Amino acid sequence: MDRDHAVRMENITKTFGDVVANDEVTLSVKKGEVHALLGENGAGKSTLMNILYGLYSPTSGNIWINGEKKHFENPNNAMDAGIGMVHQHFKLIPRMSVLENIVLGERETTAQRDGIAGYLSQLFGRDRDGPRNQLTQLAEQYGLEINPDAKVWELGVGEQQRVEILKALYRDIDVLILDEPTAVLTPGEAERMFETISTLVDEGLTVIFITHKLWEIEQMADRVTVLRDGKAVDTVDVEDIDRNDLAELMVGREVLFDIEKQPVSPGQTVLEASNLHADDNRSLPALTGVDLTVSRSEIVGVAGVSGNGQRELAECLIGFRPLTDGQIKIDGEDLTGCSPKEIIDSDVSFIPEDRHAHGCAADLSVMHNAATKVYRNGGIDSGRLLLDYTSMADYAEDIVDGFDVRGVTEVRQTPAGTLSGGNLQKLILGREMSRAPSLLIANQPTRGVDVGAIEHIRERMLEQQKDGTGVLLISEDLDELLDLSDRIVVLYEGEIVHETTPEATNKRELGIYMSSGSAATIKEAPAAEVR
Amino acid sequence: MSLFAATLESTVRLATPLLLAAMGEIIAERSGVLNLGVEGMMLGGALGGFAAAILTGSIWIGFGVGILAGMALALIHAVICISLKADQVISGIMLTLLGIGLTTYFGRGYVGQNIEGFQRIAIPGLVEIPVLGTALFSITALDYLTLLLIPIVWYFLFRTNIGAEITAVGEDPETADTAGIPVFRIQYACVLIGGAMAGAAGAQLSLAFTNFWGVEMVAGRGWIAVALVIFAQWRIFPLLGAAYFFAAIDALSFRSGAVREWVIDTVAVASLEPAFHFLLNPQVMSTYPYILTIVVLWYVMRQGNLNELGAPSSLLKAYTREQS
Amino acid sequence: MIPEISVERRKNVPQWLAYGAPVFTILAALLVAAVPLLWLNISPIWVYWELFISQPSTIGGVGDVLTTGLPLFFAGLAVYIPLKAGLWNIGAEGQLFVGAVVGSAIALHVQLPAVLLIPTILLAASIAGALYGAIPGYLRAEHNVNEIISSLMLTFAATTFTGYLLRGPLQGSGGQTATDRLPDVALIPSVLTPRLHVGVGLVILVGVAATLLLNRTQLGYEITFIGSNSTAAVQSGISKYKIYITVFVIGGGLAGLAGMVEVAGVHGRLFEDFSPGYGFTAVAVALLGRNGVGRVFAAALFFGLLTAGGTTIAVTQNVPSALIDVIVALTILFLLTAEFVKEHRIQIGSAGSESAPRPEGST
Repeated sequence: MDRDHAVRMENITKTFGDVVANDEVTLSVKKGEVHALLGENGAGKSTLMNILYGLYSPTSGNIWINGEKKHFENPNNAMDAGIGMVHQHFKLIPRMSVLENIVLGERETTAQRDGIAGYLSQLFGRDRDGPRNQLTQLAEQYGLEINPDAKVWELGVGEQQRVEILKALYRDIDVLILDEPTAVLTPGEAERMFETISTLVDEGLTVIFITHKLWEIEQMADRVTVLRDGKAVDTVDVEDIDRNDLAELMVGREVLFDIEKQPVSPGQTVLEASNLHADDNRSLPALTGVDLTVSRSEIVGVAGVSGNGQRELAECLIGFRPLTDGQIKIDGEDLTGCSPKEIIDSDVSFIPEDRHAHGCAADLSVMHNAATKVYRNGGIDSGRLLLDYTSMADYAEDIVDGFDVRGVTEVRQTPAGTLSGGNLQKLILGREMSRAPSLLIANQPTRGVDVGAIEHIRERMLEQQKDGTGVLLISEDLDELLDLSDRIVVLYEGEIVHETTPEATNKRELGIYMSSGSAATIKEAPAAEVR
Repeated sequence: MSLFAATLESTVRLATPLLLAAMGEIIAERSGVLNLGVEGMMLGGALGGFAAAILTGSIWIGFGVGILAGMALALIHAVICISLKADQVISGIMLTLLGIGLTTYFGRGYVGQNIEGFQRIAIPGLVEIPVLGTALFSITALDYLTLLLIPIVWYFLFRTNIGAEITAVGEDPETADTAGIPVFRIQYACVLIGGAMAGAAGAQLSLAFTNFWGVEMVAGRGWIAVALVIFAQWRIFPLLGAAYFFAAIDALSFRSGAVREWVIDTVAVASLEPAFHFLLNPQVMSTYPYILTIVVLWYVMRQGNLNELGAPSSLLKAYTREQS
Repeated sequence: MIPEISVERRKNVPQWLAYGAPVFTILAALLVAAVPLLWLNISPIWVYWELFISQPSTIGGVGDVLTTGLPLFFAGLAVYIPLKAGLWNIGAEGQLFVGAVVGSAIALHVQLPAVLLIPTILLAASIAGALYGAIPGYLRAEHNVNEIISSLMLTFAATTFTGYLLRGPLQGSGGQTATDRLPDVALIPSVLTPRLHVGVGLVILVGVAATLLLNRTQLGYEITFIGSNSTAAVQSGISKYKIYITVFVIGGGLAGLAGMVEVAGVHGRLFEDFSPGYGFTAVAVALLGRNGVGRVFAAALFFGLLTAGGTTIAVTQNVPSALIDVIVALTILFLLTAEFVKEHRIQIGSAGSESAPRPEGST
């Protein structure tokens, strides 16, 4: 019976408010297998595994571990049941040593057994030799070289990941969940990672790993479950399926849209980015040589799974993130290394990915937020020392009306933070587009926005294009890219790996490039099937 | 006694309140809570201890009450910062103000009174050592206690499991929480210990150093303790050195006239005399701890590598457990 | 069994709570402060009557309040303006001292007619305070050094150094720890009552300027925006560096001005304790008046009332003026508590609802 499997999650549903993250998902993982979870951003993979690990509790559904029904209140419960997890963002304390990190919090698990004396000695004692020996043994057993006394901050990312794995193994687990394990690794380190997984399985562990990279699944997994939009689409043996079909399962079938895009001939080059290199917030390389051009009246779509450098690309182009190499030219002028202000003054507009964290000042009014690009340099009031609130308010109201921003009672009073996601996005869009920019960089402009607002936003972008703006559209929504773009490029692991046009490609092909960076054998699709 | 010996002796005794208060502050800050109320807690300890000693006739009971006074103020700080998650800076500064106000108010009746404070206890044999003997081995019980506490606190913070947990809480409360460490309980305990030690430091001042009470008696030592923690980069043995260094400055400034003379005679460069008069002026010397602390701060931040140095990563941030 | 106490963030703050909070905290503070009064067998009613009713009803009393409120207002703004940008200026007391020292030094050694001298010393004091304030601002902007600690350390350095100056280069002829009385031309003339000086007129000037600055200028816009969301501000082209230094320069300048006005208008000479901790009470003023220059002014007047009253009741009712410190501290501590109550609903027995997940970083 399936319920005797190592892990059985049955009809798991998880909602956060209105958002349904997992919708009746069923997952069965056999003992000793390597099971992959595949899906795009927002498909629900992390949520599902966080439920298994006890960080979230399911809204409905059940979990069986080795045939026993379980309910996890917290990760400690899950670990007691033999489930361990290594997250994408490591939960390690950089200043402490490897050994200290692994042993942290152990008193909860051992204290109960030893009574008061044991408890006190756990508190005030510090047995490091016992754990150290145990750790060294584990490390040998699983082939994970590590120096127990090194401080975590001194370790490279690959080593830190090994510490995380050892942390889980130290707790005597049977099932190990890995969330995007190769996301932060170099190809060499990724190979080591796969060897580790093989060793783990040889030693009797069951491994579940989350990924969006097809070649990893091909190389490592026995079976794969594909999630899409919160639902489990299918579970297949890796032997029985090929890349193309996997990609299609991941991104779904083609969907027809209503937007009629009229062809517009591109004008002069407005953005010329060459050989861009940059690091992310963890000082790992995020961009590894991006070349990109955008012309006026052209929409260039950037496809890619989240985490491949999109955010860093956008932030570099607006001057917010320093480049480690490369050059940016706007309208022929070299603006490499310039501040955001200078880039904005060159008529570049930007719609950030995270509208609340980066796009607006939530407690300030709609008017304040609308005016961020125009309050100086004579944008609204030239030469006057004092701001002209009447003009600013008018300007804000124009944007509110023109871009259908709802929920604004009074532009001067309503705080921007009270607007719903879609309306806030429209406000930001309005403020960025009303400047009639030469270049508009839009990073996930329709993510998390209601359907009505999505249509509106897309129409405005097309209008902007007609008016002469060059648009760089970074989006995870392939339908959006296919509908709106003149050219599409695929960003994978920090570089552009493919360039094409919507007519010449389809979601399946894009899916492959997005998840593996190179063309596998692509079945030729008859033209009629595309779109 | 030679100038050197006298200064050394003062240094050792002046270092005690600094060490006590700063060790307490290190404990609190390592758990992530900044306590700027140390000055107020020291005042509370000083008055509380003094008053209790007069009322009960026992200096040890006085010392105990001083500790409790510090803890009482610290409890307010803990509730405000940990449970109510309000701003730690404001809470601390206002508690200092509260401490100043309450002790000035209630202390009026105790001004002018004197007690037999803690007496010096000479360790036979060791006290005979030239120069160092009287400085190090003829000090009060509280001074000996403080010296003993140093390795104990060090061991507690850096060699026990609970110490590792405190560090974890101060670095990354979320990770600590996930690992099953009781974050809030640890923070409360650390803040209370910090308050207790600040109270002890204040009590030491009134019961073992001056033997009277006056509103000016703490004289900014609480703030120096806060500065010391930064100067010592949250570690105990550097703190020992730093506290003695600052205490030496204090001791030297008491004897600044003699010190100046000695330096001027020794260096014997006439043109440098006015410089020495300035640099070894008592008030000018009192600014050195503060200026040096800023320099250390600047130096550390400039390095960029905050992994070896710098404050606990989660200092000043209130921890809220996310809903799931 | 122990009832389950759940604490939940409120969605909306009820009106009565939002506006009433400052009032409640003051009342609570006064209530608690009554305890020490009762301990000394003094009637709180009498004391509070004297403080809040008798004292301000005389011209002299009003004058006292305004005069005490002035440095509190300026210093309060010195904390408030950086606060709008998200920074804490705990160094107002030190900047105040620096301003007072520089201004006094000039007053004692430079000969000019009053109409030129007074503006000169006030200006010099502001500039000195501004430069001193720039230090923590710069350290924060350039090296990300925590401005709370740096401004605090600089405060003590300044106050202690002033002690040196008053026993040395600036010492008066009588050997006291203070300067000589400033020449008459340097003193700000009084009006109506001996303790009310014309400098109070500056309050209006500064108040209007500060309001305009924060609410109506480009700079004010940038300050407010950075204070609200510094990342969004930087992405919109605002320079964090420029703003961080600018707000500390302005704050330092205001505090320096406050210091000199206090010396030239009230005391006539510089001595060690010329400021009863104005720079620290200023933190309380800025907090109580958090939402606007007008409220900062009201808070400054309130604390001015308390401080001025403190000296009066010390004389008339034998109440140690330290009680005022207690009331000020309690007010803010209760304010912090009130903030929490405002933001969170505390329920006993029922469970809270689930809220949205943290933004998914990967998948």
